[in-house]
Amino acid sequence: MAKRSIVPFGPQHPVLPEPVHLDLVLEDETVVGAIPSIGYIHRGLEKLVEKRDFKQYVYIAERICGICSCGHGLGYCLAVEKVMDIEVPDRARYLRTIWLEMSRIHSHLLWLGLLADAMGFESLFMESWRLREKILDMFDETAGGRIIHSVNCVGGVQKDMDSSMLQDVLRAVSDLEGEMKPVVDTFLQDYTVQSRLKGTGILTKEDAVAMGAVGPMMRASGIEYDARLLGYGAYNELTVEPITSTEGDCYGRCEVRLKELFQSFDLIREAVGKIPQGPVSVPVKGNPSGEYFVRIEQPRGEAIYYIKGNGTKYLDRFRLRTPTTSNIPPMVEMLKGCQLADVPLLILTIDPCVSCTER
Amino acid sequence: MDKTKMFIFAGRVLKNLFQKPATTQYPFQPVDYPDRMRGHIEIRIEDCITCGLCMRACPSQAIQVDRKAGTWTIDRFDCVQCSSCVNVCPKKCLMMKKGYTAPEIEKKSETFTRPQEEKKEAEGASGGKPVLDAEKCVHCTLCAKKCPQEAIMVDRKEKTWELDKEKCVECGICVSACPKKALEMKG
Repeated sequence: MAKRSIVPFGPQHPVLPEPVHLDLVLEDETVVGAIPSIGYIHRGLEKLVEKRDFKQYVYIAERICGICSCGHGLGYCLAVEKVMDIEVPDRARYLRTIWLEMSRIHSHLLWLGLLADAMGFESLFMESWRLREKILDMFDETAGGRIIHSVNCVGGVQKDMDSSMLQDVLRAVSDLEGEMKPVVDTFLQDYTVQSRLKGTGILTKEDAVAMGAVGPMMRASGIEYDARLLGYGAYNELTVEPITSTEGDCYGRCEVRLKELFQSFDLIREAVGKIPQGPVSVPVKGNPSGEYFVRIEQPRGEAIYYIKGNGTKYLDRFRLRTPTTSNIPPMVEMLKGCQLADVPLLILTIDPCVSCTER
Repeated sequence: MDKTKMFIFAGRVLKNLFQKPATTQYPFQPVDYPDRMRGHIEIRIEDCITCGLCMRACPSQAIQVDRKAGTWTIDRFDCVQCSSCVNVCPKKCLMMKKGYTAPEIEKKSETFTRPQEEKKEAEGASGGKPVLDAEKCVHCTLCAKKCPQEAIMVDRKEKTWELDKEKCVECGICVSACPKKALEMKG
């Protein structure tokens, strides 16, 4: 048996946008074990729910993480609305869905860029982020902010999109779809990209179930499940088919995310076609009393929001389980047996979001 | 997809070499911000009644309102541009405008003071403090619940309605909340 050594990975590492630390147990160049440790950016945002009024907390929930911001606001609002028995107007449900799908596109394009950067493919990274700007500009036009949108509120949405804005969104989506082709071809067919992605970090279907993987990571291992099938927002009236891959390796995860981009384009088109007229929010009276638990599909996977109200304007408890929290155990399993040089790429393919995880 | 190709991205790379940069040449080329952009907060101080609702609604506690001094202070570096204050302002004197706050060397706040002469006019326009028409009142407590300063006390059993004139900020929310139109703003 070769001599074992431990190499620290992170918390500051060029591939990681956020700090997470791993102790890699190596035998020569092969990883035989990994011990993760988190807690570098804990901000106590869940505790803050006791100090801020439940309507104000939407703004804080949105700021748990930049990239998942739209989903966090929506998940929290859905939970509060269920507790308070508020029926959200149909138009608001559709608008929420359109914004959430746009945020999925921007999150996946961001991830594709980071993946290209981790492989050292600088021009592909720049191209992915150039395309992402189109969606960010649409957020700026429709919501008023590029990253933090502040559109969700308890009882509906704060802003309406008029027909010219909806047409602008459709135009941006079509432009993006047209320009995506060289990027998709490069990720899926290029020789150098394939040699980095294929066969690395295989997560079997059994392991994915046993370890509780979620989101694109789980679907890449062949499990047909998508929390959008639960029908929150307007998803019950739209066509959502879980996108899967059977490979279970880094290539599979890349393929699932690329195809999800095109699914989001179709969902936006379908939602804009079906959007009904009417109000976008209902007045909220009283304070929440009781508890509820909501599951939604964030770009990175299934997120869980739990709230407990006590009849005052301050909630007793807010709990958020993020997709990255569930994807860390399968990631540790995946790392066993891989080469040290592949570790940055493997960690990146779970699309880690450490800000969300530590809150 | 089984096909493996090489140099797929070469076309795009060559194009990038000979075309203009994808980024805007800011600050030489000005940026055209969209109308909805949440850039910074502006206040029409002459309409402000220093009721303090914005201060309470601000999730990042960037706004400080001093009633006695008649000042409205914002720390622009704490502001998160959520437009929560704009939504609650009863006088609609707060606005979200385009354009980001300029960078500064030191962190400081900006203070606006209510003009003294116009203060009287503003009070006249808002019509002073609420006065109750006891015959119309059904003691529903809606005015008390809506009051941002908790200046109104309503006892449903005793059928009393009381106003704490010290606390009242003359925002007029109680008048618009009253279902029986029993309240009126009078000087």
